[in-house]
Amino acid sequence: MAYTSYYPPSGIYSDSYKKDMRIIKTKTQWVLSVVFLVFLFAAPHIPFLNSTYVLRLLIGVGITTIICLGLNILTGYCGQLNIGQSAFVMVGAFTSGLISIHLGWSFWVSVIPAGLAAAMVGIFFGIPSVRLRGLYLALTTLGAQVILTWIALFGLPITSAGFNIEPIEVGNFVFNTPEKFYYIAMSFTVVMTFFAKNMMRTGLGRAFIAIRDNDKAAEAMGINIFRYKLLAFAICTFYAGVAGALLVHFMMWAQLESFTLQDSIWYVVMIIVGGLGSIEGTIFGVLLITILKELIFVIGPIAEKTLTFFPIGAGSGLLLFIIGAVAIVFLIFEPRGLAHRWGIIKAYYRLWPFGY
Amino acid sequence: MEFLSSIVVSGLMNGSIYGLVAIGFVLIYKSSKVLNFSQGYMLLFGAYIFWFFKGYLGLNLFFSFMLAIPTAYIMGVLIERFTLRPLIGQPLLSMITVTIFLSLVLEGLISIIWGTYPLEQITLFPRHSLRVGKIVLTTENLYAFGLALGPMLALILFFRFTQLGLAMRGVAEGHQVMQSMGISVKRILTICWGISGIFAALGGILLGSTLGFQLSLSHIGLLAIPAAFIGGLESPGGAILGGLLIGLSESIVSGYLGQAAGVPASYMILIVVMIFRPYGFFGLEEIERV
Repeated sequence: MAYTSYYPPSGIYSDSYKKDMRIIKTKTQWVLSVVFLVFLFAAPHIPFLNSTYVLRLLIGVGITTIICLGLNILTGYCGQLNIGQSAFVMVGAFTSGLISIHLGWSFWVSVIPAGLAAAMVGIFFGIPSVRLRGLYLALTTLGAQVILTWIALFGLPITSAGFNIEPIEVGNFVFNTPEKFYYIAMSFTVVMTFFAKNMMRTGLGRAFIAIRDNDKAAEAMGINIFRYKLLAFAICTFYAGVAGALLVHFMMWAQLESFTLQDSIWYVVMIIVGGLGSIEGTIFGVLLITILKELIFVIGPIAEKTLTFFPIGAGSGLLLFIIGAVAIVFLIFEPRGLAHRWGIIKAYYRLWPFGY
Repeated sequence: MEFLSSIVVSGLMNGSIYGLVAIGFVLIYKSSKVLNFSQGYMLLFGAYIFWFFKGYLGLNLFFSFMLAIPTAYIMGVLIERFTLRPLIGQPLLSMITVTIFLSLVLEGLISIIWGTYPLEQITLFPRHSLRVGKIVLTTENLYAFGLALGPMLALILFFRFTQLGLAMRGVAEGHQVMQSMGISVKRILTICWGISGIFAALGGILLGSTLGFQLSLSHIGLLAIPAAFIGGLESPGGAILGGLLIGLSESIVSGYLGQAAGVPASYMILIVVMIFRPYGFFGLEEIERV
């Protein structure tokens, strides 16, 4: 990312701090952003994109983006590794689902308690972060995943079995199909992305980055490490909780199997492939990994049928192998993630033809 | 009382195997600060290689064992050479992510070659039961215990008394110093991965002979991770202790509270230990300057 901040767009003079911190700096960027937003919200009416399958995928990308944004704030910006994110998604999902079943509140009221409940649990598991660093902390979040899943499986009968949830309603309009739910998911994604991007350029974001780069030095500069680390955990898990509430209302069915350790690991992989400490990178990573994962589900059974000379189960194995190998090769050539490459490309085209 | 003692005994037996797998984590972490998430699948691969020699080619027990161990070593070396070495100098998280993908590759490879169904059972050891006082011991467990503890002790002695072991301990202290002393850090890293592969295979063979050769063996990685962390990520001796502790607690908790409570209980213990001893029992406490 360093590349773009060294080379701002030509003709842009940041003569005040406020101007330097703008997200959108040029007219071209304004136009592109508006076009992108219009395109995003018009997608259900564009040919080739308006199939239920593609929309389902896009909703998945949107919700996963929210989850990974939270994770990237915690891991990428604040430097605290978390490999239990999907457990916090689960907390949000079940909270929202149980509220709407037992209290009869609508989605719009239950989404905030869902986020807050996840944040409370997140803060609890974030407390060891005061003394633990790096991998040791990662282990306690892994513990959060294992313990929370176990509580959901044996603690409450309703969460272990799964339950139905009514779709979201606004007036008489019911958001029960992907075509309709798409708008809700995308609005949430856009708002949460914008929120994250903004939050990370305030004093809060700078404090997180200071803690990541050197926590002792940050403490000496007057940053209250304990408070900010817990805040990072709270923000991360709040995002997870909100995404969880969206997820169950999209699927209209809350079940334990949607929140596994595998998912948690995939979220970490997404932000690493996308780029740690980068909001754009999060979206790139989610898109790339979602496409790769989708390939398994689509091509796997076909390969299974055609390659009969392999033993049973080899089709999915072949795809696991290919995806793993592709990802390893990708990481060897692009270890800093897609966001880094994106910055290089932007710098290249800004400096062109004098890129030296 | 008899129930408790039998649980304790079987817990210690399982714990020795967890310790064996945990040592694999420790070796790699010590030398390169990478947590190897693919350890569980390296274990699986080692077990399946053994099955290939014994169950498919029909070699005798000793020969297939002697063939499986070098193959596992070569597997570890190849993994290091082709995936981890190009990433030296890159962010640590990228290297850890590579090991996650590595587990996908290994799982894929295994299911391409051997399919996803459990393979046929192989019994390694004769089954008798011994009675010591009131405790019933099966010889199978005793053999497994010995086969797990023997290599671990050998490894500790190896670290303590050989030239190569000394070089490996040096690499764990600092790469640049050792490089300037004329020791090839890359070579040491390769050897560490190889040995870690051997330990994974040993664990896999022992587990496979008791639980059956199947894909779910890789879940043992989930229990070996807390074992390695409780003992301290820098200490092979700590890994053994952590393994025994985790094995014991897992079998006691799952004996009294039901099968599924074992793994969460291990993590509970892990979190408690982490709060009071953030670097495990024998881990190195990092002292750093601002």
